[in-house]
Amino acid sequence: MKAVCWMGKQSIEVHTVPDPEIINPHDAIIRVTRTAICGSDLHLYAGLIPSMESGDILGHEFMGIVEEVGSEVRKVKRGDRVVIPFTIACGNCLFCKGDLWSLCDNTNPNAQVAETMYGYSGSALFGYSHIYGGYAGGQAQYVRVPFADVGPLVLENDLPDDKVLFLSDIFPTGYQGAANANIKSGDTVAVWGCGPVGLFAIASAYMLGAQQVIAIDRFPERLALARQCGATTIDYSQDDVSIVEALRDLSGGVGPDSCIDCVGIEAHSHSAAGIYDKVKQTLKLETDRPFVLRQAIQAIRKGGTLSIPGVYGGVLDKVNFGAAFGKGIHMSMGQTHMHKFLKPLLKHVEEGHIDPSFLISHRVGIEDVPAMYEKWQKKEEGVTKIVIDPWVDSLAA
Amino acid sequence: MTTGILNRDLEVETSGGSFPKTGSTYTPLPEKDEQGRVVASVVQTIRAEPEQLYRLWSDVSLFPRWQERVISVTQTGRGRSHWILSNHEDPDGKRFEFDSEITEDVPGRKLAWQSVSEEVDLSGAVTFIEAPSGRGTLVTLTQVFKVPLGLFGNAVAAVTKRSPRQIVTEDLRHFKQLAESGEIPSVKGQPHGPRGVSGEIKEWMYGETNPTPPGTSEVE
Repeated sequence: MKAVCWMGKQSIEVHTVPDPEIINPHDAIIRVTRTAICGSDLHLYAGLIPSMESGDILGHEFMGIVEEVGSEVRKVKRGDRVVIPFTIACGNCLFCKGDLWSLCDNTNPNAQVAETMYGYSGSALFGYSHIYGGYAGGQAQYVRVPFADVGPLVLENDLPDDKVLFLSDIFPTGYQGAANANIKSGDTVAVWGCGPVGLFAIASAYMLGAQQVIAIDRFPERLALARQCGATTIDYSQDDVSIVEALRDLSGGVGPDSCIDCVGIEAHSHSAAGIYDKVKQTLKLETDRPFVLRQAIQAIRKGGTLSIPGVYGGVLDKVNFGAAFGKGIHMSMGQTHMHKFLKPLLKHVEEGHIDPSFLISHRVGIEDVPAMYEKWQKKEEGVTKIVIDPWVDSLAA
Repeated sequence: MTTGILNRDLEVETSGGSFPKTGSTYTPLPEKDEQGRVVASVVQTIRAEPEQLYRLWSDVSLFPRWQERVISVTQTGRGRSHWILSNHEDPDGKRFEFDSEITEDVPGRKLAWQSVSEEVDLSGAVTFIEAPSGRGTLVTLTQVFKVPLGLFGNAVAAVTKRSPRQIVTEDLRHFKQLAESGEIPSVKGQPHGPRGVSGEIKEWMYGETNPTPPGTSEVE
């Protein structure tokens, strides 16, 4: 089969590799009909996530048709149309039973590596480094999916792939970002980053009762989509704009009730602090650039909730923990508990409350993928979301 | 010497609502590494009944399914078994054999064992205690590796890529995974693109050649 492989920092290649086979009795093999590049894949592309190896198959947003099932698979069967959540969960440990699916105890074959870095290991993910299990990912024609009766969402509708594909990660991730933000009716919510997760966080914040959502980014195409979701937008690259002051102003001097960091480790800033982080990250003196985190801690109202769906990988520098303490804020973060959100969010799509395909800017074939990583990283051609048909070589004009 | 190493009480005391209560001081689990003797302990909470886990552990024929480096275990008599250890990835490589006997057996609660061999001195104990709040069972495993003249150390080095401490951690982790999820997670043999030089070197640390016991996998 053809698969998109990480070959090193800023190096993506399509290779022909053997088809995956059943390894464990709860596995299924999925024939991928649609997959996508996630914003978090750009962290891998930039070489910021440790324990990637040359040859790793990328991709954690995918869906398709069940091709084969292992001997202990009972519910899912050959021919089923499924969306695959990007986190892999066993369904039976303390954490799965506690609805904390992305913290599953039993799916990471390299748990010892994660334990060394983090104390305990979360669940494994598809195509997202060996710390997170080293499972081959979904930017490929076929994928092996463990615990097929636990994860895959079986579709019983005829909605096109593009409308349901994003249930595999970014829609639930944006939704959890908003759900973790403790939004109450009438609240003001600030969202940093208007990429796919940010856009779904904006839409979800309104679904959860927000009165006003303020969205922060610098790319016109993203800010336009944020306004389509109903947000008031701030372009932080404008010289005369201070984000903290703008948020104070828009929240009547109180500060946003909830702040959602949909940016994570690759935050960008024009300021001196942004350059400081970029230099330290390049010299490997810090792993993450927590610019948004610092700004959100400063801007949030007293007693507010800071929710962090943006990915962080390691050690942060110069985060004003005193401000977080002094204002008594709440913080909530982590990988998405996908399995909890799949069915309720599918219902929203089926009932027409939201069409998640609104943010797709590019549809490509598998051989186009390496070039699309570069274009999205450089924010060229107005890329907002790239979906891939892995059975077509090229769709690019 | 070995059966008494576990200082966890088999009886769990539950405190009532009265105050003041009787607290206690933390006693660390046995850990030692001196003069060729390594003691390592690890604890896990497993979502199953103590009796179920005791039965799973008691079935010595299943050890090759969930412990790295165990090729076969044969019951040779009441409480006695014969063990063959080797490297799964290297079937022609070094292997060594020894007999082991059960030194303490509290059905549903505790097992302790001691090797009966001139070359190998390996002992240990495992306890199964019901965890509070319906969380399952608190499983505590302690292993003692004695290394006369470095022989067992060499043998361990020959059949495993891990330190004795990590062996104990991985053994109990794999037991938990098998008991809770019905399999041991693995990426062995999955497809990947060209690994290149450094990728091949690192593969044994994590990746498709990581020494994962088979669990319930039917793949050879």
